[in-house]
Amino acid sequence: MCRKDTERTMRLLTERQLEAFLRSAETDYDVRVPVALRDGTRTLGRLDDGRLALAGGAIPAKMTNVFFPQMDRLLTAGPDGPDIPKPVLRPLLVVGFTAQDAECLEFIDRFYAENYRDDVYFNRRDGAVIVCVSGRCGPQGRFLEIAGGKCDMEFICDGQSYLVLGYSPVGKALTEKLAARQPAGTATLTELQKESDSLAREDSRLLQAASRLLLEEKVPEEFWRSVSDRCIACTSCNLVCPTCTCFDVFDRVVDGKVQRWRTWDSCQLDGFMREASGHNPMGLEHQRTRRRIHHKLAADPKRWGQLTCMLCGRCDDACPTGIGVKAVCREMVSKYGSV
Amino acid sequence: MDNSIDRAADRFAERLGVIDKHTLYRPFNCTLRSVRDLTPSEKMFRLAKLEGGPFGHRPGQFMQVSVLGIGEAPISVSSSPTRGDYLELGVRAAGTLTSALHRLKPGDEIGLRGPFGTHFPTDEMKGRDLLLISGGCGLAPMRALIQYVEDRRGDFRKVTILYGAKSPDDVLYKDELRGWRNSKIFECQVTVDRVPGGTCWDANVGMITKLIPPLQIRPDDTTAVIVGPPIMYKFVIEELCAKGLNAGNIVVSLERHMKCGVGKCGHCTIDHLYCCIDGPVFRLDQVANLKGAI
Amino acid sequence: MKRVLTTCPYCGIGCMFYLLVDGDGILVGVEPSTQHVVSKGQLCVKGWNAHHFVNHPDRLTLPMIRRNGQLESTCWDEALDLVATRLKEIQAANGSDSVAFFSSAKTTNEENYLMMKLARAVFKTNNVDHCARLCHSSTVIGLAAAFGSGAMTNSISCVEQADCYLVTGSNTTEQHPLIGSRIINNVVNNGARLIVADNRKIRLSRLADIHVRWKNGTDVAFLNSVMNVIIAEGLEDTEFVRDRTENYEQLKRTVADYPPERAAEICGITPREIVQVSRIFAAAERAMIVYAMGITQHTHGVDNVKTCANLAMLTGNIGRPGTGVNPLRGQNNVQGACDMGALPDVYSGYQKVAEPAIRAKFKKAWAVKYLPDGAGHAVTTAIDAAAEGRLKALYIMGENPMMSDPDQNHVRKAIERLEFVVVQDIFPTPTTRYADIILPAGSYAEKDGTFTSTERRVQRVRKAIEPVGQSRSDWQILCDVAVKCGYGGMKYSSPEDVMDEIAALTPIYGGISYDRIDRVGLQWPCPDKNHSGTAVMHAGKFARGLGMFSPARYRPSAELPDSRYPFLLSTGRCYFHFHTGTMTRRSRLLDREEPFPFVEVNPADAAELRIQNRNWVYVATRRAEVKAMAHVTDVVGKGVLFMPFHFEEGPANLLTNNALDPVAKIPEYKVCAAKIRSAP
Ligand SMILES: Cc1cc2nc3c(=O)[nH]c(=O)nc-3n(C[C@H](O)[C@H](O)[C@H](O)COP(=O)(O)OP(=O)(O)OC[C@H]3O[C@@H](n4cnc5c(N)ncnc54)[C@H](O)[C@@H]3O)c2cc1C
Ligand code: FES
Repeated sequence: MCRKDTERTMRLLTERQLEAFLRSAETDYDVRVPVALRDGTRTLGRLDDGRLALAGGAIPAKMTNVFFPQMDRLLTAGPDGPDIPKPVLRPLLVVGFTAQDAECLEFIDRFYAENYRDDVYFNRRDGAVIVCVSGRCGPQGRFLEIAGGKCDMEFICDGQSYLVLGYSPVGKALTEKLAARQPAGTATLTELQKESDSLAREDSRLLQAASRLLLEEKVPEEFWRSVSDRCIACTSCNLVCPTCTCFDVFDRVVDGKVQRWRTWDSCQLDGFMREASGHNPMGLEHQRTRRRIHHKLAADPKRWGQLTCMLCGRCDDACPTGIGVKAVCREMVSKYGSV
Repeated sequence: MDNSIDRAADRFAERLGVIDKHTLYRPFNCTLRSVRDLTPSEKMFRLAKLEGGPFGHRPGQFMQVSVLGIGEAPISVSSSPTRGDYLELGVRAAGTLTSALHRLKPGDEIGLRGPFGTHFPTDEMKGRDLLLISGGCGLAPMRALIQYVEDRRGDFRKVTILYGAKSPDDVLYKDELRGWRNSKIFECQVTVDRVPGGTCWDANVGMITKLIPPLQIRPDDTTAVIVGPPIMYKFVIEELCAKGLNAGNIVVSLERHMKCGVGKCGHCTIDHLYCCIDGPVFRLDQVANLKGAI
Repeated sequence: MKRVLTTCPYCGIGCMFYLLVDGDGILVGVEPSTQHVVSKGQLCVKGWNAHHFVNHPDRLTLPMIRRNGQLESTCWDEALDLVATRLKEIQAANGSDSVAFFSSAKTTNEENYLMMKLARAVFKTNNVDHCARLCHSSTVIGLAAAFGSGAMTNSISCVEQADCYLVTGSNTTEQHPLIGSRIINNVVNNGARLIVADNRKIRLSRLADIHVRWKNGTDVAFLNSVMNVIIAEGLEDTEFVRDRTENYEQLKRTVADYPPERAAEICGITPREIVQVSRIFAAAERAMIVYAMGITQHTHGVDNVKTCANLAMLTGNIGRPGTGVNPLRGQNNVQGACDMGALPDVYSGYQKVAEPAIRAKFKKAWAVKYLPDGAGHAVTTAIDAAAEGRLKALYIMGENPMMSDPDQNHVRKAIERLEFVVVQDIFPTPTTRYADIILPAGSYAEKDGTFTSTERRVQRVRKAIEPVGQSRSDWQILCDVAVKCGYGGMKYSSPEDVMDEIAALTPIYGGISYDRIDRVGLQWPCPDKNHSGTAVMHAGKFARGLGMFSPARYRPSAELPDSRYPFLLSTGRCYFHFHTGTMTRRSRLLDREEPFPFVEVNPADAAELRIQNRNWVYVATRRAEVKAMAHVTDVVGKGVLFMPFHFEEGPANLLTNNALDPVAKIPEYKVCAAKIRSAP
């Protein structure tokens, strides 16, 4: 991305102005933004679903659920045979990705496109505009890493207002539509970028170290047993993970019409791999606990050439017993290796 | 990301026009031509496309079989494409979907997706001795390979077929097995773990692994293929290794819980491999060192 | 996509989440509330799947009437007419108490209140009860005797503050997962001590300082002995005992009979274990007792509860954060159903029907001339009365006695003998099969109201979707029935109206109103609109004044293993299913996890009987035989079988014993004698 080019189309807007802009985008797009719901829970919703809540960091629910929701229709069949899911009439414009979320999306785009193209996913994903939010608007005042070119557009908070940057052609086109204003910002893009670059990278080093331990098979079964003793099989880790893509499929017959749905599934469940014979290659708790971490840090790197945990932190927040990816990696590295 | 408003609009227009287009999860309809009982709990179904024509499968691949409103399950193709424009599936009533299949009658329609997955490496097997070992339901996909080999017998050298089942009642494709046993072009042996009192049985009794040591095998010129229940692999592989076969010459077909058949649902993974697209047919050296594979 | 904040319909913890509704009005997921005091962005597996059953095709969508033995669909008007006229006729012929009403811990507070109002104001009977009889009736009675109030003394947030736990008869991580997780965190991260007293090797026992695998049903002997050691070693809280309790001498005398050697023999453990437990528990600054059905579901359930209360008072572990006697309520609204007076002897807020002044208050408020004063039938005794022909009609709302009550053959015979059975439910169940009229009700996602969680927190339930088919909310149905009966006092425009009436008549709910609990629920006692609710009860003073030591003696369970039935069978729940399975068995992932009735068998027993894991077996008791899949596991001790009661095709409650606690009338689900054999 050519910096100069980007800066030319850059705008500085207050949250109010951004809201107005997003509203105006609703004519062409199905706009989804971080909103605060009734009790303050932040989620991704339409502008009318709650108060716009750009600040606060990653949305607790995974952002990728706009394209791969908890339950999704694969097909509906009436007496005349199957229909495919209804096409989406307006493309999505989704605001609120963090830099990590954008990386997660990049991966699952790849995942759904390769081998067989998952058209149910791309039904929503095609044409969607991805907008990251970053800068001085993280939880407890933390700085959120700047995503840069990983998205179409980015809102970078300088502490008061948002620098709006367009990266992709569609992002630029949208940015250019904004009135060119030059209000006083508290920091330039360069300063913010510097702040972003200086963010600590400990977690990512930790993850790399954990991944090496796993690839070198230095983590004994007993470790996984001790972690799985603390696992209550709630499946939250999977259900909030933006790179978890597993699903189950089931049929329902409603008013004579067959609906075939897919629904988020979890590898932490015994039934996930149990075969019809009763045989289960992952029939023990610690095997499933291992899989959850091993898959992201060892199996996926072998298959896709990349770690598929982007350290978004959601599983660590959603785990009732404190054994999210980061926590387990920390424990693993302190026991079996060094960062 | 290279979105442009124009391209997005194009794609939307395109999509609105193609409601009918084949999608990844949409089955196509086939007619059930005939149903035959194999055992008290297994039936064979012969299917043909509504509009006729080949299914384009190769031995070792599987289909995703749907009964709308009930569900979908992966079932190996049990017939060779060399036999004509039909598919045969040997199905055990193991649960909801498979039991629903068992209730179908000739003339009914069935939804299919596929063929999916890897196939037996018939090209690489050309000019070699074949040792085809199957157990229980594993004969279903193996039958497709045996038929294929039968129809292209000249492409292969010595062909040995070993099959094991729990008891005489559980033996699949009994007539065909008899044919293969009597055939000059194969050497075929069948065994059962046990024979309950009052049952006729004219073949071997005992574990399938016992059939291997007496065989004359030229390890470097032989490709062994194994399909069977999970516990069978380990012991058969041990016997084959004792005969000097290396992992590069052993082919296994591994079954896992599968939902989508196209590498998306994640149920079928073995480490970094997806059984439905990287398998079900693997060369042993691809999977031997993966935890939980064998 | 619409998101509606509501309360989970499963256990009593009361997690709140948002239900996700798609454009077609179908529930397509849940999102935990990150702001809620308990959920904090987390849920257990049932919570994550709580949307799934609501739109299941099996939902009852039309009223049904039995005609010539067959159930046929009909319109609401006819169904309601028939309910009203038949019940009235039966009463006219046989007296008020020939009709009984089963309320439901799955329905809202408002609906429970209306059910008891319908029974009392319209039908003039105190025959109203609900399934708390089967889970925590011993708690309500035992703790009321000891402390003056029968609810969990502390809050869920207190769980994080304890430095020692005694978990007994509660498989906390499975049945109250977000309380279990708090215990795990505190034990793992802060070194809190953990005592697990349970025959089963539950998950918590893996992290416990000490796991006492006592024989099921020997709780009183064990806890008395713990108190014996505490007193003998001078570890009691003398100040607390002196200032805050009465009847200590009596306690001392009773527990003196339980030296560790004697108790150890009764309990099948070592005296050392008892001494260890005593020291760990007594040494803690803040020790908390957590219990559930393992304590209550015995013929000595009330004794068990009182004994837990004795231990807490003896060590001064009550009235402070991180302490207390904490019965975990198993259903989303079993606390509320009790609070609302869906019980045979009290109105809402545990106000006694026997007291003339209370009756006078309700008579005035409900504009009726007469209200009955004698205690009515409990769920369990109503079934007995039906079997004997004394009870003629039963109105069942959201309960499934044909699967949940002990000794189902007995229940079936009783229900068959009834002249008229109304069942109001969301799904067909084994009970609807015996209905003369089925009224299709709305699920939790289709109505407004409140649930009261185990920590006494009154929380909102909100309507997310329109009623499925022609179903109607329970509150509407109850009001419709009252109107058909010619009663003018049950016309409400919304559940909020009902709550206002509840608040006006119920001192402990006096300060509750929908606007006050819009975002965060309030914990009762909350006597007025300025009161901010009560997190910890009995601080400084017990509800009854002084805490009452009520010592009990060990009594063996009613039916113990013998040579013909050599196994001890205990029943309960598993993590993935809920009660009679009506909801979870219609939830895809939950049912996939445990699709079959199963029985846990110890590996040593299995080896002896040649039973293999996942093979089918028959479990038999003196009452019946049931087929189930064997789960061979050391979770159960040798000689013990455990079977969950979720499965219609392998119903554990065909097997259980209908022996009741003499006071609470709770059945002994936790102990009976059984045998087991391989299924051919
Ligand atoms: C690549 C591949 C190829 C395969 N090829 C074949 C083949 O050629 N032939 C073949 O028969 N199978 C084959 N299978 C296995 C087949 O896919 C499974 O048997 C099938 O998925 C089961 O689906 P279901 O809906 O019938 O069972 P489900 O209903 O999903 O059953 C799941 C579980 O429920 C149990 N269950 C359900 N209902 C009952 C019941 N009434 N009684 C007892 N248990 C019950 C089952 O035992 C099992 O544990 C293959 C699998 C794979 C992965
Ligand atoms: S079957 Fe779905 S990924 Fe293989």
